Amino acid sequence: MTDLLLSQIDINSNSLTETDEYIVNLGPQHPATHGVLRLVVKLDGEVVKETMPVLGYLHRSIEKICENRTYPQCITYTDRVDYASAMSANLAYAMAAEKLLNIEIPPRAQWLRMIFVELQRIASHLLWLGAFAGDLGAFTPFLYGLRERERVLDLFEMTCGQRLTYNYIRIGGVMIDVLPEFVEKCRLFLDYFFKKVDEYEELLTYNPIFLERTKGVGFITPEEAINWGLAGPSLRGSGVSCDIRKQQPYLFYDQIDFKEEISYGGDCWSRYKVRMNEMRQCVSIIRQCLDHMGPGAVEAKLPPVLKGPNGQEAYSRIESSRGEMGVYLVGNGTPKPWKCKFRCASFNNLSVIDKLTRGWKVADIMAVLGSLDIIIPEVDR
Amino acid sequence: MSGSLKLLKLINVILEHVYKFLGLTNPIPEVINAFITAAISFAVISVFVMFLVWMERKVSAHMQSRIGPNRVGPFGLLQTLADAIKLTTKENMEPQKRDKIPYFIAPIIAFVATFMGVVVIPLDKGVTIQNLNIGVLYIIAITSFTVIGILTAGWSSNNKFSLIGGFRSAAQIISYEIPLVLSLVPVIMITGTLDLQKIVEYQAHAGYWFVGPQIIGFLVFLTASTAESNRAPFDIPEAESELTGGFHTEYSGIKFAMFFLGEYISIIIGSSVAVSVFLGGWIAPAFMNFLPVPGFFWFVIKVLLVIYLIMAFRWTFPRLRVDQLMDFGWKILIPIAILNIFLTGLWILWFSKGV
Amino acid sequence: MKKIVTYFKDIIVGLVNLILGMSVTIKYFFKKTNTQQYPEEKLPLPDRSRSLIKLIYDQEKEEFNCVACMMCQKACPNNCIKLEGARMPDGKRKMINFKLDFSTCIFCGYCVEACGFDALTFIPEDYENSVYQRGSLLHDEHALKWVRPTVASNPPRELNQSTQVI
Repeated sequence: MTDLLLSQIDINSNSLTETDEYIVNLGPQHPATHGVLRLVVKLDGEVVKETMPVLGYLHRSIEKICENRTYPQCITYTDRVDYASAMSANLAYAMAAEKLLNIEIPPRAQWLRMIFVELQRIASHLLWLGAFAGDLGAFTPFLYGLRERERVLDLFEMTCGQRLTYNYIRIGGVMIDVLPEFVEKCRLFLDYFFKKVDEYEELLTYNPIFLERTKGVGFITPEEAINWGLAGPSLRGSGVSCDIRKQQPYLFYDQIDFKEEISYGGDCWSRYKVRMNEMRQCVSIIRQCLDHMGPGAVEAKLPPVLKGPNGQEAYSRIESSRGEMGVYLVGNGTPKPWKCKFRCASFNNLSVIDKLTRGWKVADIMAVLGSLDIIIPEVDR
Repeated sequence: MSGSLKLLKLINVILEHVYKFLGLTNPIPEVINAFITAAISFAVISVFVMFLVWMERKVSAHMQSRIGPNRVGPFGLLQTLADAIKLTTKENMEPQKRDKIPYFIAPIIAFVATFMGVVVIPLDKGVTIQNLNIGVLYIIAITSFTVIGILTAGWSSNNKFSLIGGFRSAAQIISYEIPLVLSLVPVIMITGTLDLQKIVEYQAHAGYWFVGPQIIGFLVFLTASTAESNRAPFDIPEAESELTGGFHTEYSGIKFAMFFLGEYISIIIGSSVAVSVFLGGWIAPAFMNFLPVPGFFWFVIKVLLVIYLIMAFRWTFPRLRVDQLMDFGWKILIPIAILNIFLTGLWILWFSKGV
Repeated sequence: MKKIVTYFKDIIVGLVNLILGMSVTIKYFFKKTNTQQYPEEKLPLPDRSRSLIKLIYDQEKEEFNCVACMMCQKACPNNCIKLEGARMPDGKRKMINFKLDFSTCIFCGYCVEACGFDALTFIPEDYENSVYQRGSLLHDEHALKWVRPTVASNPPRELNQSTQVI
């Protein structure tokens, strides 16, 4: 009997010690996949064999909606493309529209745009920091991060009246000039915040558990990172200089003295470090902007109805909190764009997740996902 | 004679009167006495656990500059009671394709196994529910039964997350048993007994606590007992951000409450052993010797301090990955614990020769 | 030998960093909390807050400022404003029916900016707009009616009038 059983087993196939792979659905309802991302993970024990992101759970067809809205109305939808960094999306769209419609922006508006986009970068990175630490199991930095983020949102609310979907940066400038006390409050916040970054670093950066979880995890070489189309801090974490603020300065970034933060590790820890340092750079940029900003108009004179020239197209690219954000607009002579396309960093950053997690453990999926700073509405749009 | 002992005696006396009143035989039958003691200790421990859950919420809240529960009762003290009522009255959701009997038994095993460890904890001089001369061994042996409950829960839930959580827990608890035992060995070598009462008495006579000479052992024990009770940063069996709930993903209502209670009881046991073995149990700190408080009071204070430390761990540190957890256990804790035993051996040898 | 030294050095450095991290959380444990207890303590809204849209009612003329120019309807990206106007016997245009659906309104502020007759405004007082029925969010001109308070007399504002269910 035993012989019969043994004879059925092919010795060479190694089937006695072979293990079965099984599939686990992480999401769309899962505590760690920020929002409604679904990851279909093929596992062998704890080891990840394959990760497949399934998109579309938050698809609202914003690009199509924009084709049926006038140029200014589209801005309200760009708020929803990336709700954690709405100012950047506003800016990218407004710049594309201004290029298409040939609008000159007054300098004060430019400075204000820079201040608000950088403040938004701080807010976005703070949210990321909390989510990243939360993914790794440390819940406390999340609340510290949100505490400071509230201060930024207070500044936003004071200026434009909203805390999440601002609709502040408009075609031709900004919605409204800041209040006189804004400058002082902003400086106070920056002083307060600069010290807080050290505190986060104290809590996490050289914590041995944090180091073990992030050092070397999700490694990607610079060449591969470029080939996969990574962008923003995720690419700079691999040691590639890709900051559009430096390479194709828009607004007045060429008049500002700041450093492009690059880290050469290529792992989760480097991406973390880049973002932490970027927050400090943001503080320095905002301080300089506040110094440079002079009085003046904040909105250009616009015709009552904005009509995109027929057949013309415009593309703008900015460095959003998550990386390169581009907006492509085509006009057709009507007040509505013929085509509006958003190029979002999160989508490209998410595509690399299979490459980064293959061969690692289940827990590393969360670390990698957190370090890429993905925001689902931007992926699905 | 200390106050808490008086209390226990008082309970006994009252019981005797009750028996007499009922016309039952005196002395009280051992079995009934045991049941009543178990019921009382269960009630006391449950209330203490409720307090701990409240404390954990408050501690975590203040560490995150929040307020925490403050609506139900004074300072939100009754919040846990409200939650307990909610959990017990909740509809019992069960997955359709669960393995019925193990699914039912698992939380009971996990809970009972941890709860049995309470028996030998020395609350005060001569006050233990049942003093055993192998107390340390008993605690370690009985609390490691928890893993069976967790593994059963993970297996019977018929859920992949639960299964991963269960296996992680098995691997973790088995490998952290070893440093846990090894960290206690030096103290046993010095005192020459496994009786927790005698270990504390040795510290009282010697005039120092073992946390001084055995600081390494204390740290190793604290880490390993945190891991034993599946607490962050070693909470990989439940790992919320990875496995949603780990082994108790499919449990709800009172069954979940039993796991929850078991976790906190294992914290209590872990820190009680740490206090008894390393922090001098019921002995008052030298500079506070004059205070007329029972030893039980000092014991509880010390236990709460250790629990506070464990809570601070949880709300500060990220979670380790499963293989790093194994690495940490096998490559750092065990060698250090063995080194500690070796050094202690040398120390004993040196002093016994000197004498 | 070198390996052994680095082994112990790593452990000690790790321990120091763990204690450093703990010092932050324990420091906050003894600090004052940052929580605002919402229903009791309400944060004041800034003047520019875009929280609730109101139709301005002129008490002296006893009519709404709105002349039904339709600019707000055109500006709205979500088509949540529906209004009807009519020419009065005296030749003036007057709004007779104004409906604002707050269930689709995104508070972008375009309608208020587009209004050239000082008829629409944001008020920074009220942000508790949740209701139990979706239909309750469709406000008509009675629910949206708001009288601009004069600074001198400072009359009590009738903001919390029950929103009419349609």
